Amino acid sequence: MSTILEPRSRRLARFVRERFPLENLDPKHMIEKKEVPRHRMSWAYYMGGLALFFLLVQIVTGLLLLFYYQPTVSDAHASVETISEYVSGGAWIRNLHAWSSSAMIATVIVHLFTTFAMKAFAAPRELTWVSGVSLALIVFGFGFTGYLLPWNQIAVNATKVGLQSVEAVGQYLPGEMAHWPTFVRETIQGEPSVGQATLSRFFAIHVIVLPLLTIAALGVHLMQVQLHGMSRGVDALKVKTEKFFPFFVIKDLSVWGVAFFVVAVVAMCLPFDSFLPFPLLEPYNPLGSTPDGIKPEWYFFFVYYPLELLPYWAVIAASTLVLGALFLAPWIFARTTRRTLSALAIAAALYFVVMTVFGHAIYDALKGGPP
Amino acid sequence: MNAVLRLAIFGLFAVPGSAHHEFQVFVQAHSGRPVNCALCHTSADGPEGSGPGQIGSLDEAERERLNRARAAFDPSPVVDSPILNEFGNSIVARLGKRRILELRSKPEALAAELGDASDLDSDGIPDSREYLEGTHPLMRHHGDPWSLFTHELRANAFHVVMLGLATIVTLYGLISILRGFALRLRARADATEN
Repeated sequence: MSTILEPRSRRLARFVRERFPLENLDPKHMIEKKEVPRHRMSWAYYMGGLALFFLLVQIVTGLLLLFYYQPTVSDAHASVETISEYVSGGAWIRNLHAWSSSAMIATVIVHLFTTFAMKAFAAPRELTWVSGVSLALIVFGFGFTGYLLPWNQIAVNATKVGLQSVEAVGQYLPGEMAHWPTFVRETIQGEPSVGQATLSRFFAIHVIVLPLLTIAALGVHLMQVQLHGMSRGVDALKVKTEKFFPFFVIKDLSVWGVAFFVVAVVAMCLPFDSFLPFPLLEPYNPLGSTPDGIKPEWYFFFVYYPLELLPYWAVIAASTLVLGALFLAPWIFARTTRRTLSALAIAAALYFVVMTVFGHAIYDALKGGPP
Repeated sequence: MNAVLRLAIFGLFAVPGSAHHEFQVFVQAHSGRPVNCALCHTSADGPEGSGPGQIGSLDEAERERLNRARAAFDPSPVVDSPILNEFGNSIVARLGKRRILELRSKPEALAAELGDASDLDSDGIPDSREYLEGTHPLMRHHGDPWSLFTHELRANAFHVVMLGLATIVTLYGLISILRGFALRLRARADATEN
């Protein structure tokens, strides 16, 4: 009752004060007194840190790649080949960049599902959640823009398809809004067809715009985590805890060490390109026809195969709804039990895994041929 | 006389000068992977045309090399056709042009004829197997992922062990530093309480 009678400005001030309890911004609270719950879902607390670790690997390897990469249509492919074939340790660094990007996206997705299932977005952690969902979108943006940079057949053709999909949204928007997707596509593409301007813009977005957005969103995300601590994550009233420092930090660091070793060995022994058909690895030929086997990266399969199978409008409507629900989850699911949220998260994870692993087979079965 | 013979050979075999599509069709059907002429040829669009690596762009010396390669009916160690890549040239060198023409009707037999000895890109997968699997025999980073992984793991065993040791030592050092900080914090807290 008192909340209803409270003036709007006061309510807003209280909301901000509760989300930013700056008195907690001291080492005592953030290090000495911080506790981490221990229960059957405790493993999920390592996912955020792991995603951060892979992001750090991305930054370091990305900076090293920048020394040799040439963002021009004439030299991009050759410079990537030079990195892989002639630069000392270049193949390993490039593979490390490619494998850790996939690992980062996989970890971010698991982090998203587990925090949703654990209702970690409940008040006062709404901003942690919203900044986290923003980070997830940014990570997908990194994947989309980074895919074009090697300037090979698959990169350019897949980007063309992606940009055409963006523009196609316009036909379902009313009035003046119908032109917005075209404007977005033209702005990103930079010229009538995918070419030098597109490569320059994708490069700028990949190495400048998205990193700056990451710093902003990650800053809010980590600050919120520090101010509010880890969410309890389960319904049990009494939950065992452990000290964040040094016990959880040591475990977190050990997980980072194992992750580094695994991704470093995989990058050393398994070329990321080995999963692509070889004609697609050739430099892009603007006069050639679109080769077979053009697909986006694996982490876009969950939307790519539905786009191939279902009416475009249905997929766009569903994607918009899901994205809106994700951002507004703290308010939409404020009264939903963790059991229901877990069921939703498991269903979403199942859908993602099935589309990623069996999407091609499902397409073949339904359409009788490759997409 | 020699020049007339060369001209006759060029005239006889330059037309038709197309790639042997039977092999490409077989590899695509067998492996399920899209492949193009770059499997054996210099140009991904095949030998005909005037682009780089195609017949129309060849200079005098390159045409000479092409004619010599076309005259290699029997296995010959010196085949250096400018329209073929290293793998294409190695096939002509090992089998000879006559055998290749015979194999057009049974392209599946090419792998057995090539044997397992040659691995031009040194990726641990024989060229003949790469042909069957539709992966590029000249791309070191391209091949059956599991075969590449096991081959590279064996080749880099020392680096993997050293990487493991470096990771363990670094972790041990960092964890020791953290434990030290934790002990110092506790000591300071105890001192404050007392």
